[in-house]
Amino acid sequence: MNTSIRHTVVAGGISGLVAGLVPALSLDVNSPGTMSVGPAGWGAVSVALQLVLAMLGGAGFGALVRDQLDGRAATAASGLLYGLLWWIVGPLTVAPMAHGHIPTWSLRDATATFPALIASLFYGGVLGGVLPLLTGTFGNPRASARCEPVVRPVRRIVILGGGFGGVSVAQRLEFLLARDPSVQITMVSQSNYLLFTPMLAEVAASGLEPQHISAPVRAAFLRVEFRHAELETVNVAARLVRTRAAGAARIDALHYDHLVLALGAVPNLRRVPGLEAHAFTLKSLDDANRLRNHVIGLLERADVEVDPHERRRQLTFVVVGGGFAGAEMIAELRDLVHSVRRFYRGIDPGALRFVLVHSGERILPELGSALAAYARRKMEARGIEFLLGARMAAAHSDSVVLADGRTVPTRTIVWAAGNQPHPLLRSLPVERSQSGAVIVEPTLQVKGLPNVWAVGDCAQIPDAFHEGSSCPPTAQHAVREGIAVAENIVAVLRGIAPRPFRFRTIATLVALGHRTAVADVRGWRFSGFLAWAMWRTVYWWKLPGLEKKIRVALDWTIDLFFPRDVALLTASPSVPQGLDAPEPGRGASSVPTPAAPPPPAT
Amino acid sequence: MKQRALPLAALRGAVAGAAAGLAFAAAMRQSGALVTVASIVHASPAGLDFVAHLLVAAAVGAGFGTLVSSERLGVGELLFWGLTYGMVWWFVGALTVAPMLLAGRAIWTVAAAQAALPSLFGHLWYGAITALIYAAITPGPSDGRPRVTGGTVGAGVLAGVAGAWLLERLIATQSPWLGTTGLSLATSSPAHRFVFLTGVLGGLVFALLYPQPRDAAGPGLIRGALFGFVWWAAAALSALPEINGGGLAWSLEAVRARFPALPAFVLYGGLVALVYRWLLAAGRLLFADDATPRDEEGTGTRGLRAIGRGAFAGLIGGLVFTLVMVRVGFLPTVAQIVGAASPWSGFLVHLVIANIIGASYGLLFLGRSVGTGSALGWGVSYGFFWWILGPLTLLPVLLGGAPRWTPQVAGALIPSLVGHLAYGGAVGIVFYLLEVRYNPWWVPHTELMAAQSERRRAEVLASASALWVLVVMLGLTLPIMLACGMAPAYSGTATARGAYGQSSGEAGPCP
Repeated sequence: MNTSIRHTVVAGGISGLVAGLVPALSLDVNSPGTMSVGPAGWGAVSVALQLVLAMLGGAGFGALVRDQLDGRAATAASGLLYGLLWWIVGPLTVAPMAHGHIPTWSLRDATATFPALIASLFYGGVLGGVLPLLTGTFGNPRASARCEPVVRPVRRIVILGGGFGGVSVAQRLEFLLARDPSVQITMVSQSNYLLFTPMLAEVAASGLEPQHISAPVRAAFLRVEFRHAELETVNVAARLVRTRAAGAARIDALHYDHLVLALGAVPNLRRVPGLEAHAFTLKSLDDANRLRNHVIGLLERADVEVDPHERRRQLTFVVVGGGFAGAEMIAELRDLVHSVRRFYRGIDPGALRFVLVHSGERILPELGSALAAYARRKMEARGIEFLLGARMAAAHSDSVVLADGRTVPTRTIVWAAGNQPHPLLRSLPVERSQSGAVIVEPTLQVKGLPNVWAVGDCAQIPDAFHEGSSCPPTAQHAVREGIAVAENIVAVLRGIAPRPFRFRTIATLVALGHRTAVADVRGWRFSGFLAWAMWRTVYWWKLPGLEKKIRVALDWTIDLFFPRDVALLTASPSVPQGLDAPEPGRGASSVPTPAAPPPPAT
Repeated sequence: MKQRALPLAALRGAVAGAAAGLAFAAAMRQSGALVTVASIVHASPAGLDFVAHLLVAAAVGAGFGTLVSSERLGVGELLFWGLTYGMVWWFVGALTVAPMLLAGRAIWTVAAAQAALPSLFGHLWYGAITALIYAAITPGPSDGRPRVTGGTVGAGVLAGVAGAWLLERLIATQSPWLGTTGLSLATSSPAHRFVFLTGVLGGLVFALLYPQPRDAAGPGLIRGALFGFVWWAAAALSALPEINGGGLAWSLEAVRARFPALPAFVLYGGLVALVYRWLLAAGRLLFADDATPRDEEGTGTRGLRAIGRGAFAGLIGGLVFTLVMVRVGFLPTVAQIVGAASPWSGFLVHLVIANIIGASYGLLFLGRSVGTGSALGWGVSYGFFWWILGPLTLLPVLLGGAPRWTPQVAGALIPSLVGHLAYGGAVGIVFYLLEVRYNPWWVPHTELMAAQSERRRAEVLASASALWVLVVMLGLTLPIMLACGMAPAYSGTATARGAYGQSSGEAGPCP
C-alpha cells in the first residue's frame, strides 16, 4: 500500500490528540459519565491522561483505516464508527475495570455513560475529519491506499507437471509470494486439469463421470501463469525450458531461475512382450474411458457370442499387479460387470471370471499382512481369483501367458504392476535411480543442481524416518513434497537455507469395492464398511473444489439406487492405447481372432 | 475544473439543504417541537427564527455537498450518507451547540436525548431529503447512473411482496404490545392492508433507489436492514399516524409504543434486499443477452474456502463473545436450546452457533473488505443484524416462546448487543486477514487485476462507511434512549424471561 503504516499511525496519533481536546475542553471531565480518567479530583492529570489515551486511540485508528483513507466523508464516517466502538471498549469496559468493578454492559451502565458515548462520537468524528488532512488525502481522495503499480517480474519459477505435486508447489508458492509480484510462477502441463487419480478406477467402472474427478488447473490459481503445452527439452545449463503449445507447431522458450520437476510417472510397458499392444493402463481419463468402453463392448459381444471359448475369453478380466491400483481396479471391474449384467440376459453369471495376477506371495504389500489377508479373503468371497507368485511372461490379444507356462484366456488385460518416471528425465544430466527417478537431496534439490527441484513419482526422495529407503509415490506424499519445495524455494530466494523434507505417511486406504475397504491410519487398522466410509470421506474431502465435491457426492448417491450406465460411448469396439499408436515394429503383432479387437487403423 | 467542482457541490448542497430545511421546519412545527435553531433565537423578532433556520439548513447542506462531492455515489448511496449526516447534526446541533448557547454547556444526558427525540427524526429526514434533492440536481457520473428498467421494478415489487408476507407475520406477533398505534394486526383489518401495502411499496422504493446493485449479498443485507429502519420511520412513525389524523409520532412515548414493529421492519428490509438481488441475478442468468459474467467470485467457486475461513473467524469471534456471555450469565440460557442447563453445554452450543454464523459471513461478505477498517465495519454491522435475528427473535422461539420487541427487552439485551458487536468485529477482521493472506488485493499482477481491484474497492467504499456508522449509532442509542426510565414490565415465563437476560428489570430512573 502506498500509505505507509508508520505515516498513518503517527498522523492518527496527532489526529487523536486534536480530537481528544474536543470532549476534554467542552465538558467537565470529572462529571459522572464523561470520559474521565483516574479518580475524581485529579483534574489536570486526568485531562492529560485522557489526551494520552486519545492519542493512542488515534494511532490505532490510523493503523485500522490506513487502507481506506478514501475521501472525506468515508474517513469521517469511519471515525464516527471508531468513536462508538471506543465507547464500548473504554467507558463501558475498561473504565469499570480500572475502578475495580467488573463490566456488565448493562442498560444502567450504558445510560450512566451516555455522555461518554456522545463524547466518543465527537472524538471519532474529529479524528476521522483531521486524519485525511494530515495524510494528504484531503482534496485528493484517491491519493492513498490504491493498488500498487503492476510490477514486471524479474524472476521466474517454472513448474513442469500439473499433477498433485506440481499443483501443490504452485498453490503454496502463490500463497507465500502473494505480496511479491517480482516473482512469476509458471506451470507447464500437458493436461489443463488436475486428475484426482484415487477415483480413476471408479471412472473406469462407470461409477463416476470423468469430468467430476478432474479439476481445471486454471481455476485453482489466482496468479500462476498456466501453459497448456508439451515439454520439448530442458536445458539446465542455460536454465531454459522449451515447450510446444498444445496443438501448435511453435516452440516457446521459458527462462527460469528455479525449476520444479513434477512430471509424474508413466506405465512401464516394456518389461513384458505384448503389453504395449494388448494391455490397458489406468493413468489418465482417456485410459479410464477406453477401459470402460472396452468392458461394456465385450459384454455386448458376449451376450450374442455363439462360440463358448470366445465367450469365456470375453468374460475373463485380468488385472496384473496386486498393489493398491491393481486391487482397486479388479474390485471395481467386478462391481461394474455385476452391476450391469442384468441387462445382458445371454450371459451366464457363472461364466464371469476376474483374475488378479501378482508376482508376490500376498497382495497389497504396502499394508500389513492382516489387512492384506482380509482384503484377499473378501475379494475371493466375491469371486475374484488370485494368481500369486506368478510373473507375466507375455500378453496376447486373447490371453495372458505366465512365466510358469500357464495361460489365461482373456480379452482384457489391465496393467497395474509398475510405472517408470517420465521419459524426458532421461535427457537430463542428473543422477537417476534404477527406475529412472531423479535422485534428490533431503531438501528436494536435484543432486548437483541447486536451482532444480523434484517432487512426486519422478523423484527418488530419501525417507527421513526410514534410513536408506525412499518416500512412496503416493498423492499424500506428493502434496507434502510440493509444499516443502515451495517453502524451500522461497527460503532460497530470501537467502535462507532450505530445510530437509520430513513426512510420515498418515494413512493408507484401499477400496475393495461393494462398500468394503481396508485402512491403516498410523498403525490403527480398519476394515469393512467403516474403512469404506473412511475412504470415501477422506477422498471426497480431498477432492479439489466445492463443485467437484457436490458432483461426486451426487454420482455416489445415484450409484446407490441405480445400475451403472452401459451406454457405449464409442462407435467401434475399444482397444488398448498401444493399438491406437503402436511404435514402429511393435504392437498389433498378435494374430487377430474373430472376436478380437480390430487391428490398428494404420 | 476541479477547483470549481467543490464550490459547485457546496452550492448544490446549500440548495438541497434549504429545501430540506423547509420540510424539517414544517414537520417539527407540526409535531410541536421547536427546530434547534429556532429554539435559540425564538425571542428575536418574528420570522427571524425561520430565516435563521433556513440559513443554517443551507449552510449544513453546503457541508453535505462538500463532503460527498468526491464520491461516485448513486441515489441510494447518497440517501444513507444523508441519514448519517442528519443524525450527526442531531448530536452536534440539538445536543451540543443549542444547549451550549442556551445553557452555557453541552447536555449529553439520556434525558436530554429523550427530550430531543422528535428532533432526531427531523434531522434524519432533513438529511435524507437533502441527499435526495442533491442527487436530483447533481449530474451523475460520466459513465451514467444505473437505469431503472421494467425488470428492476418487477423484481422490486416481487421482493416487496415476499417482504410484506414476512412483515405481516412478524408484526402480528407483536400485536399485543402495539396497542393503539394502528399497527396491531390483532384488532384492525385496515392495519393488515396498510402493512401489506407498505411492504410492497417498500420493495418498489428499494428497487428505485438501487436499480442495479453491484455489491454482494452481505452488504446488500445490511443496506436492506437499514432501509427497513428508514421504512419503519416513514411508515410506522410518520405516514400511518398522519393517515390516522394523529400527526407525526416522533415523541418519546409514541416511538416507544411503535418500537416493537422496528425489528420486524429491519428483518423485512434484509429479506427484501436479498430477494431483490437474487431476482435480478436470476433475471440476468435467464434473460440477459450479454452472456459475459460479472467479475464477481461466485459463492460456489471459492465458497468452500470462504466457509472454512468464516467458520474459523466465527470461532474466534465466539470466544470473544464468550467473555460477555460468562459475565452476564447467559450461557445456561443458550444451553436450553438443546435441552441442557449447564454453562459448558451453553458454551458448546454458543460456539457451534458462532461457527455457523461465521461461515455465513464468509459466504455473504466474500471479498467485500478492502482493509481492517472496512472489515470491522461489515463485521459489526452483521453482528448487529444477528442481535436482531438471534437473541431478539430466534432465541425466544427456540425456547418455546414468542419474540417480544419492547424497548424494555431491547434495553435488557444491551449486554448481548455489545457481545454481538464484539463478535462481529472479530469475525470481520479475522476473516479479512485470512482472505488477504492468500489474495492481497493491492498487489495486482496484471493491469486487468488492478482495474478490477480498484473497481471493487470503489464499490465497497461508496456508501459502506455510512451504512456501518448508521447501524451502530442507531443500534446503540435507540435502545438506550427508549428503554431508559421505563418500568420493568415483564411478566412472562421463567424460560422466556431468561431469553431476554437476567437484567430485564433493571431500567431505573433516567439520568
